[in-house]
Amino acid sequence: MSQLFEEFDEISTLAEGLDDAEAGGRIMAVIELANSADPEAIPHLAKAIIDPDEGVRKQAALALTAFDGSATAAALVVALGDESQAVREAAALSLTELKDPEAGDALLPVLTDSNEFTLLACLAGITELRRPEAMAPAIAALAHTSPMVRCQAVSVIGWLQDSTAIPALRSAATDEHPTVRRTALAALGFNKSDHSEKILISGLDDKDWQVREAAAETLTKSGSHTCIADLINALNDEYWQVRLKAVRTLGRLGASESALHIGPLMSIDVPNLRKECAAALGELCVPASREFLELFKDDGDPDVRKNVRWALGKIDSL
Amino acid sequence: MSDEILDGITQIDCDVLVIGGGTAGPMAALKAKRKNPKANVVLLDKANVKRSGAISMGMDGLNNSVIPGYATPEQYTKEITIANDGICDQAAVYRYAEECYPIIQELDSFGIRFQKDNNGEYDVKKVHHIGTYVLPMPNGDTVKKALYRQLRKSRINIINRYMATRLLTTEERVAGAICVNTRTAEFLVVRAKSVIMSMGAAGRLGLPSSGYLYGTYENASNSGEGYAMSYHAGAALANLECYQINPLIKDYNGPACAYVAGPLGGYTANAGGERFIECDYWSGQMMQEFHDELQSGNGPVYLKLNHLAEETVSEIERVLHIVERPTRGHFHAGRGTDYRKDMIEMHISEIGFCSGHSASGVYVDENARTTIPGLYAAGDMANVPHNYMLGAFTNGAIAGEDALDFSADVDFAEIDKDAIEAERARVLAPTKRTDGIPPNQIEYKTRRFVNDYLQPPKVTAKMQLAQQRFEEVRDDMENHMYVRDSHELMRSLEASSILDCADMAASASLYRTESRWGLYHNRVEYQRDDENWFCHTLLTKGEDGKPTSRKEPVKPYIVEIADDEKDAYNKQRVKATATAE
Amino acid sequence: MPLAHAASTVPVVVNDDLCIADKGCTVCVEVCPLDVLRITDLLDGRKTAHMKYDECWYCMPCEADCPTGAVTVNIPYLLK
Ligand SMILES: Cc1cc2nc3c(=O)[nH]c(=O)nc-3n(C[C@H](O)[C@H](O)[C@H](O)COP(=O)(O)OP(=O)(O)OC[C@H]3O[C@@H](n4cnc5c(N)ncnc54)[C@H](O)[C@@H]3O)c2cc1C
Ligand code: SF4
Ligand code: SF4
Repeated sequence: MSQLFEEFDEISTLAEGLDDAEAGGRIMAVIELANSADPEAIPHLAKAIIDPDEGVRKQAALALTAFDGSATAAALVVALGDESQAVREAAALSLTELKDPEAGDALLPVLTDSNEFTLLACLAGITELRRPEAMAPAIAALAHTSPMVRCQAVSVIGWLQDSTAIPALRSAATDEHPTVRRTALAALGFNKSDHSEKILISGLDDKDWQVREAAAETLTKSGSHTCIADLINALNDEYWQVRLKAVRTLGRLGASESALHIGPLMSIDVPNLRKECAAALGELCVPASREFLELFKDDGDPDVRKNVRWALGKIDSL
Repeated sequence: MSDEILDGITQIDCDVLVIGGGTAGPMAALKAKRKNPKANVVLLDKANVKRSGAISMGMDGLNNSVIPGYATPEQYTKEITIANDGICDQAAVYRYAEECYPIIQELDSFGIRFQKDNNGEYDVKKVHHIGTYVLPMPNGDTVKKALYRQLRKSRINIINRYMATRLLTTEERVAGAICVNTRTAEFLVVRAKSVIMSMGAAGRLGLPSSGYLYGTYENASNSGEGYAMSYHAGAALANLECYQINPLIKDYNGPACAYVAGPLGGYTANAGGERFIECDYWSGQMMQEFHDELQSGNGPVYLKLNHLAEETVSEIERVLHIVERPTRGHFHAGRGTDYRKDMIEMHISEIGFCSGHSASGVYVDENARTTIPGLYAAGDMANVPHNYMLGAFTNGAIAGEDALDFSADVDFAEIDKDAIEAERARVLAPTKRTDGIPPNQIEYKTRRFVNDYLQPPKVTAKMQLAQQRFEEVRDDMENHMYVRDSHELMRSLEASSILDCADMAASASLYRTESRWGLYHNRVEYQRDDENWFCHTLLTKGEDGKPTSRKEPVKPYIVEIADDEKDAYNKQRVKATATAE
Repeated sequence: MPLAHAASTVPVVVNDDLCIADKGCTVCVEVCPLDVLRITDLLDGRKTAHMKYDECWYCMPCEADCPTGAVTVNIPYLLK
């Protein structure tokens, strides 16, 4: 009879393969150690990650995605300094899979590394771990020459949701690189304050449309009546994506004065925008917007139709 | 690994047997094992659970997540009921909607990534106002690996490369399953107190227009055994006439992913680059319009992205070419298709059974119980409509827990030795011949007839012809099929499931003498008829060994649907008067 | 009715210089959902993986999981 069940071999038995004279044999041992999903395999993989053979090291770096905690992170940090790009990239990828905050212990000391690749990978790794100690190095990294590093630093800050970091996010919101600006604006979403709102309002005038889009979108969370005039202005943006986000935010903020500005946008031939307008008009519930909605009661798009009917129903039940 | 045919039979016992380790199966096994770590839970798959099933390479996102603050179970239940033309037992849909959020959190804790915004909160895509359901998965390729780790950690007994072929039952309940090794032809009889089936869709029913047997929309290892086994065991199957048909990239036959491109401004257009349907949500009505456009002088039909901003196109490319069907990028590169310049030609998929995208399947209640006690079904093969990936996970979890409870109260049922012998004789018959028809030809012929006669629009006379042709193929299959090794033997067993599914598709479609669900059940001779057909149809194996159907009332709604909401998915065609920007 | 042999070009190719099947690797064979890859002996006595059956869903786990990058998945000719 051929083998029936998948086996659960002893880790020490599996690890014997790491002594194979040939790289291929050692690669196989790494694969089996990863399949075990048993944390006892971590020290063996940490050994494999400094194997003389590049293929073994790469496989070990990939294998470590199956594990978590500080020993795993420490082994991956070693691999970030590998001479082979393939190994470094594998390690960087595995770092982003960490979930256990304790893994941060191994990453925190490296957050000031002078090597750009290492720094970027460790910032990416620590983002989801939400370690408060990462705040200071992340703020420092906002001055890095690489926009990718700055962007990742913004994410670290955003995930920490700590209002003392607002000044740092404000300066990132005027970064020379649009992706950094966009990320910084989105990261303000947790903080409902005049301060954040002001930063977001200036984002509505950014020269890059995706930055404007992020500003309009994030105002849903951080805006108040103060930003309404600016959002109404954004309804004329040349990009429908920006208009759409402005419409949504106006609806969410209950800006009834915007209803008669939103109504005419419905005749633009972009269903995504139309359905958003209908939804916003429903939320705003301004009887005068009825005339716009009526025109689209039998719209070809089921979502538009659904939203229009819902909006009309709300107005009727006033 | 010579694929030589060996003679052998083993029997094992377990508390819960899960057949199919794709999406629903691993979750079912985990939940059963966690509920009672002492229970013997076996997870068996025809492939290797590490990379089996629809989510083998990952997914772009959850299509139907019901996350507090973005959607409510009431809204979701309503939308699914409407999308199914009202034929829907809401209890199962509602239960899914209530229980799926904790499942998302649990998957997250396994290390499966869901898109989070820059504050680390779930970034559910606002697609429309009333209910927001799409949760992207930026590293969706980690799904299977993460699941596999959990299975290993929980010490689930995994059996790979055994294909289940028949269920064992008694008068009262399920008793186990018969399985065959796909590389050695050895038999395995599993005696189980409860059995959960999660064998995915019937993906190899219609023939893709490329003519390549394995160029299907569904994972081609899902060949319909779940449906065939349920049928032969006497379980009821619901609404099989509601086929799965999807709009796909022509020839490649994979999703064009309107759910990814739609919110970013991509849409389906005709040859003139004009929009002709206003909503890309996959539904029978949408497919009807799609079909009509293909048939009209305005076809073919395309996915249009070339009007979008460069930043948006790169974003779409990044998402579409990494996970789910990563060869999509190779395919476009091979033909020199650049999303920036060219529209992407689309086509209609072959037909299949799959509740993940439509509504047909093994009839289950809100506990994933089939009509046979102790037998459960979850995922694409169970009839909870529009279930997608998260539905497979959630209903898998429900099945796992309920099956464990069932097992706790019973002893093993008696195994029918004669049934085992009969099954061995059936399975091995093609190995006893010295020449004959290979399974690929049996399969090809069946599936070509499916296309010729069953693909909608459905015509009574054509479907009756199909039944005759299927009978002839069945005679060939039973008396002349010939295989040379174990691998071919697996294909021969698949050919038999495919033929069973084809028979069921024809029979179910003939039974419902009305049109419903847009193209899925467009019976050209009949209109929609709520008076007579506002009901499920349940198909079972009749006394004569052939499919027979009956009506089953739709259970009273728990969420009411207003009259003016009922047609929400009709009338999708763009009005000629739409004003240009 | 004897069987004919119909030739068909297979979509998945393995670079046998990179393949470490000699060391017991069967990763690609294991992960393939359609079970169409096998290990075979080369003329020089080494082993390699290869596509034995042209029944491929072009899904790619074989390529993604191969530890040495030996596998390339192409689109099957009929739908390419
Ligand atoms: C190309 C594609 C894209 C999709 N995109 C999305 C998306 O973006 N979002 C979303 O939410 N959903 C998506 N879906 C749907 C979703 O993936 C499925 O609904 C879900 O994964 C089904 O899970 P399942 O467990 O029912 O089946 P599967 O995961 O397919 O598992 C079935 C398992 O059964 C095994 N099996 C089959 N027959 C036998 C047998 N006889 N014996 C033993 N084992 C057997 C198979 O090997 C397989 O492992 C997509 C589906 C496809 C095909
Ligand atoms: S996975 Fe790669 S190395 Fe291993 S057998 Fe397959 S081709 Fe060879
Ligand atoms: S692409 Fe998929 S089906 Fe084809 S050989 Fe690789 S794993 Fe198997």
